[in-house]
Amino acid sequence: MPPRIMQQFAMQSFSTEIIYSFVIIFCSLIIYYGTKELYELSSHKGIKYFRQAFLFFALAYFFRSFIKLIVFYFNAQGILSISPRLFNPLISQVTLIFFIYFSAMAVLYLLYSVMWKKWNGNDKKVYLFHLLAFAISLFIVLSGNALAYLGVNILLFFIVLFVVYTSYKNKKKAKGHKHNLYIIYLLLSFFWIINIIDILIPSFFQNFQLLIYLASAAIFFIMVYKVLKKAGSS
Amino acid sequence: MAKRNKLEIIQNILKIIQENHNSIKPTPLLRQSNISTARFKDYFNDLIKKKFIRETGHKGNKYISLTEKGFKFLEKYKTIINFIDEFEL
Repeated sequence: MPPRIMQQFAMQSFSTEIIYSFVIIFCSLIIYYGTKELYELSSHKGIKYFRQAFLFFALAYFFRSFIKLIVFYFNAQGILSISPRLFNPLISQVTLIFFIYFSAMAVLYLLYSVMWKKWNGNDKKVYLFHLLAFAISLFIVLSGNALAYLGVNILLFFIVLFVVYTSYKNKKKAKGHKHNLYIIYLLLSFFWIINIIDILIPSFFQNFQLLIYLASAAIFFIMVYKVLKKAGSS
Repeated sequence: MAKRNKLEIIQNILKIIQENHNSIKPTPLLRQSNISTARFKDYFNDLIKKKFIRETGHKGNKYISLTEKGFKFLEKYKTIINFIDEFEL
């Protein structure tokens, strides 16, 4: 492919990336601020953790777009493969630590928002989650092993899958009707992991990238719609 | 009768105040709210702290009334409950 066309293609995919990140950050912040009043009035822990999950999604996507910007600027394969002579590796590592930390916390908060009652929820457990997310991010970045990170996230996804399935079965027994929300939570976690793979192994989903972005954005739009409808926010 | 949760008890207390023309003495409020004195004190202090209710009058002649935030809670109570239920929180 001629270099000019390649450059155009890269520019296009970078623009798509920025629009995608903006959409997700925007949706997450709408959910966060749209539920502010309900939390302030109720001080309900479930609402608190639910809001925190979306705040952390927004932060994670912010760092994700920053990583994509660096990768695009240096025309590199991945953030860890940029030459130390071109870009300070400490900045790359710290950005990646933030990204992994915020993304792990987002999923953990979402999980905890559903499970806090069963796990006798208190804020002390949240500190443990922070510690766990930080340890994961530090381990992955220091080891420089993208596959280890992939493994950790797949493990996290299976924990979400197990917890959501158990909770779904109990609810179905208790209420006798289906809750499509569990499917949304699962899809949210699933697409989140796909997004993580996309950051660490950019060539992994190259052919399906646009499809993945559209599906992820659709999940977030459904969440925004459901939240605004139920929270009564305008 | 099923055990009431925290939000339900708060709603009950605020509703009693509202239904008494937004002015009620602590003793009848305690009686009508159907909870133990110790728990009532906890809820009462919590509601004062969160600025849902305010005390007016002097010692021995105290009245409790709802603040704007208290009215807002009652207005939004159903929305809060529906939201918690919908998202399994």
